[in-house]
Amino acid sequence: MSITLTMPRLSDTMEQGTIIKWNIKEGDEVASGAVVADVETDKATMEMQVYDDGVVARILVDEGTQVPVGTAIALIAEEGEDPSSVDDAPAAAEPAPTEAPAAEAPVSAEPVTAAPETPAAPAAPPASTATGDGRRIKVSPVARRLAEEHRVDLAAIAGSGPGGRIIKRDILEHVERAASAGAVGGTVPVPLPSVEPGAIAVPVIREVPALESTEVEVSGMRQTIARRLVESKQTIPHYQVKMCFAMDAILDLRASMNEKLAAEGVKLSVNDFIVRASALAMAEHPMFNASWAGDRILVHNRVNIGVAVSLSEERGGGLVVATIRDANLKSLRMISAETKSLAGKARDRGLATEEMSDATFTISNLGMFGVDDFTAIINPPNSAILACGAAIEKPVVRDHQLAVGWEMAANLSLDHRVIDGAMAARYLATLKSMIEEPMRLLA
Amino acid sequence: MSDRVIEFREALREAMSQEMRRDEKVFLLGEEVAQYDGAYKVSRGMLEEFGPRRIIDTPISESGFAGMAIGAAMMGLRPIVEFMSWSFSLVAADPILNNAPKMLYMSGGQFGCPIVFRGNDGAGGQLGSTHSWCVEGMFSNVPGLKMAIPAFPDDAKGLLASAIRDDDPVFFLESERLLAMKGHVPEGDHYVPFGKALVRKPGTDVTIISFGRPVHFCLEAAEELEKEGISCEVIDGRTIRPLDLDTIVASVKKTNSCVVVDQSWSFGSPGSEVAAQVHAACFDDLDNHVMRVHSADVPTPYASNLEQEYLPNARRIAEAVRSALYVA
Repeated sequence: MSITLTMPRLSDTMEQGTIIKWNIKEGDEVASGAVVADVETDKATMEMQVYDDGVVARILVDEGTQVPVGTAIALIAEEGEDPSSVDDAPAAAEPAPTEAPAAEAPVSAEPVTAAPETPAAPAAPPASTATGDGRRIKVSPVARRLAEEHRVDLAAIAGSGPGGRIIKRDILEHVERAASAGAVGGTVPVPLPSVEPGAIAVPVIREVPALESTEVEVSGMRQTIARRLVESKQTIPHYQVKMCFAMDAILDLRASMNEKLAAEGVKLSVNDFIVRASALAMAEHPMFNASWAGDRILVHNRVNIGVAVSLSEERGGGLVVATIRDANLKSLRMISAETKSLAGKARDRGLATEEMSDATFTISNLGMFGVDDFTAIINPPNSAILACGAAIEKPVVRDHQLAVGWEMAANLSLDHRVIDGAMAARYLATLKSMIEEPMRLLA
Repeated sequence: MSDRVIEFREALREAMSQEMRRDEKVFLLGEEVAQYDGAYKVSRGMLEEFGPRRIIDTPISESGFAGMAIGAAMMGLRPIVEFMSWSFSLVAADPILNNAPKMLYMSGGQFGCPIVFRGNDGAGGQLGSTHSWCVEGMFSNVPGLKMAIPAFPDDAKGLLASAIRDDDPVFFLESERLLAMKGHVPEGDHYVPFGKALVRKPGTDVTIISFGRPVHFCLEAAEELEKEGISCEVIDGRTIRPLDLDTIVASVKKTNSCVVVDQSWSFGSPGSEVAAQVHAACFDDLDNHVMRVHSADVPTPYASNLEQEYLPNARRIAEAVRSALYVA
């Protein structure tokens, strides 16, 4: 009996994967533990191992092909089995069960500035006539045509016509919903102008210059960002609360610490202080370390701070959220070292699933780009995200006097199902007191 | 547009008189067309103007005078044959179907047949089954003929004038129910070309196509549906042969829905033909199959209430439109 290799679920949000590279070919002997392929998930490129010995009988999926989790991708002939006798059509493979705990791995807050220049439509499967279980989809001809034009997956639509037939209205409503969510890049056809009463009906085509767009194929990561952030912005009742912090004291402290720790190779960033302050503030404000769970709120006992890391545009861009686990228990230098290490790894070769999962609160910082103020989209299942701008030297009022000082805007995006406005204000006040009296962060 | 308003029957008369003045080969014959001014007063006063050699009363013998007129047409005259009702043309089936439309073909082009057969078609109002024929179902089946079916007075004049000038046999279908209808009709020469349908009412949600009297039922239904937020585009086909498929297709490609309304019976009818052609030309544009509204598949009832229900009336059209649009 041959062994069927299926597309593994390599992260808890992974739904499909791309075989980037096969390390095996048909006829090769493989041993348990061998890395047979590099698989691109929605987050990262990961190695895929086999857990059996045998001979590669069939490669079923070409390099560069994306398939859903659970799809058969190769057949291995067991010891004593003739590889050439292995049946080409494997038994329908069940999707691999998720082994990781069901905590949602984070993606990130996505500032609008990070959007690619040419938004490409998400690559939806072509309009098909059958669902995954082989049931025939009934669809009116024009609805089928519209689905193709708008790259809508028919299997995802419940038809409202007789016998569940998908009709024009179903597609247009779907497209409208998607367009209002900003998730579909397709164009909506302009309705033809009405014909004057009494005139012969000739089709009126208004000439408009074509957009001449270039199609950009989107990576698994880009698809995940698109899907997760649309889901976040559509389902979470976002609102924002902003407060400005005086940064003079923390900048002085940082400069003096960095000077004294330079010999030990420690260079603290402003963000490290913010990570620590955000984490420590959870003791007083547990609802900021919580998740909305449909009919109840889960308050997490561990404080894992997610830090959004942008990836270089040369390597396809995108961003990941690196998780600083138990950040409330870690010193500034531990947070600093860990953040640097994770960011470097994310940019070099990608993070492992466990390095990106289980964040309970996320920080997105665009201060290093000179941004003074922005808002972020909540990273589900978090209930808040903190967006920090740059510390900027500006005229400020201190002790009733106009002075020159350093300030930073901190903008919280909040899930109103979990956190009310006054709670957000109190959390920011706690953060403010820690940032403005930074000695409190050293203990 | 002309400010002058006249009746449908006067518009028909103007077309005949205009062409008879222009061309002395044109003449009118039929039962009571001369001395009695026509059973429906379409030819009132024409005997006075053109005299008994060109306005000819015939015996009650459709097969005879139709056949005679076909012979005259073959020899170069341009007869207009009035049937008091198209129902009475059935006894002349052999000359009008077996001779006139085939003459050009069977004579190898030696004899044409430039003739117009005209008369009342369809249910005229409690005339009973034998006098309420819609012949477009049967007769449009025959190659070699043309068939015009005006719904408004200006088209009555323009289409009939074009029919008289046409070199092929034209079956011209009028409705007793429309003869008294008044409308703006251009004075002087007025020709409406064959094979050019007209959008009577523009709309965006559904295309309704009809011919002749039921066009009015369609407009009535469209007005009713407008109140429900359904925008109907109503197309008056004007001629069944030739059929203006282009106008219909352009509309269906816009609306994605189509209802055909035809006063003949459904089986093998202009309505079924239009539906078939729309399905072929617009397959990928349709959101539902083409719906058809016809007269009920029974002999025309005599009782007034039954006759109303039998016809493709506005209520039945509105139901078909809602069904085509998947509304309730």
